[in-house]
Amino acid sequence: MLLLEGFSTALQPVYLLYALGGVFVGTAVGVLPGIGPAMTVALLMPITYALDPAAALIVFAGIYYGGMYGGSTTSILLNTPGESSSIVTALEGNKMAKAGRGAAALATAAIGSFIAGTIATVLLTFLAPVVADFAVGLGPVDYVALMVVAFLTVGALLGASVLRGLASLALGLFIGLIGIDDSTAQQRFTFDNPTLVDGIDMVLVAVGLFALGEALYVASKLRHGPVELIPVSKGKNAWLSKEDWKRSWKPWLRGTFIGFPIGTVPAGGADVSTFLSYAAERKLAKGANKAQFGKGAIEGVAGPEAANNAAAAGVLVPLLTLGIPTTATAAMMLTAFQRYQIQPGPLLFENQGALVWTLIASLYVGNLMLLVLNLPLVGLWVKILQIPRPYLYAGILVFAALGAFSVNFSPSDVGILLVVGILGYFMRRYGYPVAPMVVAMILGPMFEVQLRRSLQLSQNDPTALFSSPFALVVYVSMALIFVASWWLRRRQAAVEAAPARDKVSV
Amino acid sequence: MSSLATTPAKRPTGEILFALVFVSVGVAGLATAGSIPIPPSETGIGPRAFPYIVCGMLVLCGAGVVLQVLRGKVGQAEDSEDLDVTAKTDWVALAKLVGFVVLHIFLIEPAGWPVAAAVLFSGAAWSLDAKPLWKAITVSVILALVLQYVFGGLLGVSLPPGPLFEGVPFFHG
Repeated sequence: MLLLEGFSTALQPVYLLYALGGVFVGTAVGVLPGIGPAMTVALLMPITYALDPAAALIVFAGIYYGGMYGGSTTSILLNTPGESSSIVTALEGNKMAKAGRGAAALATAAIGSFIAGTIATVLLTFLAPVVADFAVGLGPVDYVALMVVAFLTVGALLGASVLRGLASLALGLFIGLIGIDDSTAQQRFTFDNPTLVDGIDMVLVAVGLFALGEALYVASKLRHGPVELIPVSKGKNAWLSKEDWKRSWKPWLRGTFIGFPIGTVPAGGADVSTFLSYAAERKLAKGANKAQFGKGAIEGVAGPEAANNAAAAGVLVPLLTLGIPTTATAAMMLTAFQRYQIQPGPLLFENQGALVWTLIASLYVGNLMLLVLNLPLVGLWVKILQIPRPYLYAGILVFAALGAFSVNFSPSDVGILLVVGILGYFMRRYGYPVAPMVVAMILGPMFEVQLRRSLQLSQNDPTALFSSPFALVVYVSMALIFVASWWLRRRQAAVEAAPARDKVSV
Repeated sequence: MSSLATTPAKRPTGEILFALVFVSVGVAGLATAGSIPIPPSETGIGPRAFPYIVCGMLVLCGAGVVLQVLRGKVGQAEDSEDLDVTAKTDWVALAKLVGFVVLHIFLIEPAGWPVAAAVLFSGAAWSLDAKPLWKAITVSVILALVLQYVFGGLLGVSLPPGPLFEGVPFFHG
């Protein structure tokens, strides 16, 4: 089987070493406060510039999963949760840590992530070739439909403000337009400036928005004084008790099967799935366990963490088979692929079969490594969390500048980085989500090509965009997703409000 | 939850100005999209249609945000772990950081990457009140040299070592 061939590559000692390096660096950077998975991938892009494609993909697989693990450690141990994808984990995990159960919270998160990651990778293994086979038959009209859904879910559904999300999306589309038009080779919005002719590199925008923008934003309102960490208790009682296992295994599985499907459809990736899983666990808990919600219920860590990692694997299905990134992290992965002239899409499994299966095999390997690495290294992650903040943000600036400079070895790229970083600062300050901009920038050019191709085929008859049955199904599902999300949003608000209410009543 | 604290009421001038940036980029785009050449062989919607759509969207969204803000619906500033939401914006620190990035850009080629990186790190750490300063500078020098060695030497990313380290073989790829 092809997967076995993938394993035979991924298990070579050198590649195992790369995988280990990838998961280690990915977790270490993911642990850093303020750094989400997308920023982890963006910041670590330069590491792989000199590697061969297989090694680079293996490192990225490690970074991708490692970044997810790292985030949960931060939200459990740090007093001040922030990232949206791990905010749910923080709800209960933080309380558990304060009650001296930090080690148990970390353990249930790590084991849950491992189980969910493994099951979801198995699902990915079987589902991806099927989807790829199906996708070969899709025409440009169908791609237009899929990408419209991806745009609207990323832009309109996920942020707090629909208009700001769409504005961010439009800005990303605009930056994607700068340069040479793919279809006619005409220059657009280049103003005869030679540096703009090649377009603005995706890495500059991503690193600028995520890394520089975030560093500037935090610097503008930095919390001074010592870093408040919750100490991790050691000893026998701290580890998962029999009772904890009993309470954790069902949420792990439920989280997996909530997270994976949500990851695969272009409807929002990890955040939504963690909220859904949390709400489900809260509802399903009984008696004393239910009363614990809001005060450190282990189910509230186990479920969402599993959902988060399963969604991360699910996101890879549309990314690998359709070439459509549905989250900012996936957009970064796509950028990484494109650097090696690997174009994800239905033909990827045929043209680059060996590479894809190596990537999938290394997801299994990386997941196992993370489980083995994570718990013994908690002490190290705690040290990383304690890095004095001036050094941390100074380091992020240096790394961002390094990443930007090494794109083309041109200092003017660092200048573009700075401009994008300042833009990212104001977007954060005024509540514009940055993820839609990143996704739009990478998806926009592909969308335009497919749109023009479909209209050309139909002699510019716009109704042709609704002519294929598949496209119709997609548009109808999109309408359903929007209705469902409206309902979810209300639930999410209820979930967010509930712990606050508990706190008041205590 | 502290992270869900509502944004305090503030003058929304800055927010309106920022939304107008979106509008003006859109307007500028609409004004220049008409001059994108269309090759005679083009039979489809051509290279101008999508830019018109995108720029129109920018104008509409930007204007929509301006209206929302005027009606009192201001944006919700983003949260982060190290953020003190109640603090006032430290414009001085921001200006210093931006200044050091600019300095870094102009130092890379004449002074070499390690020097430029060390200046950026120690400058940024100083802007963020790192104490004591000599420690930050020591860290910056070590970090810059390690990065130059790892990326320039081991990973083959060609960072210019600059006149100071030109002769050191392990700083090159």
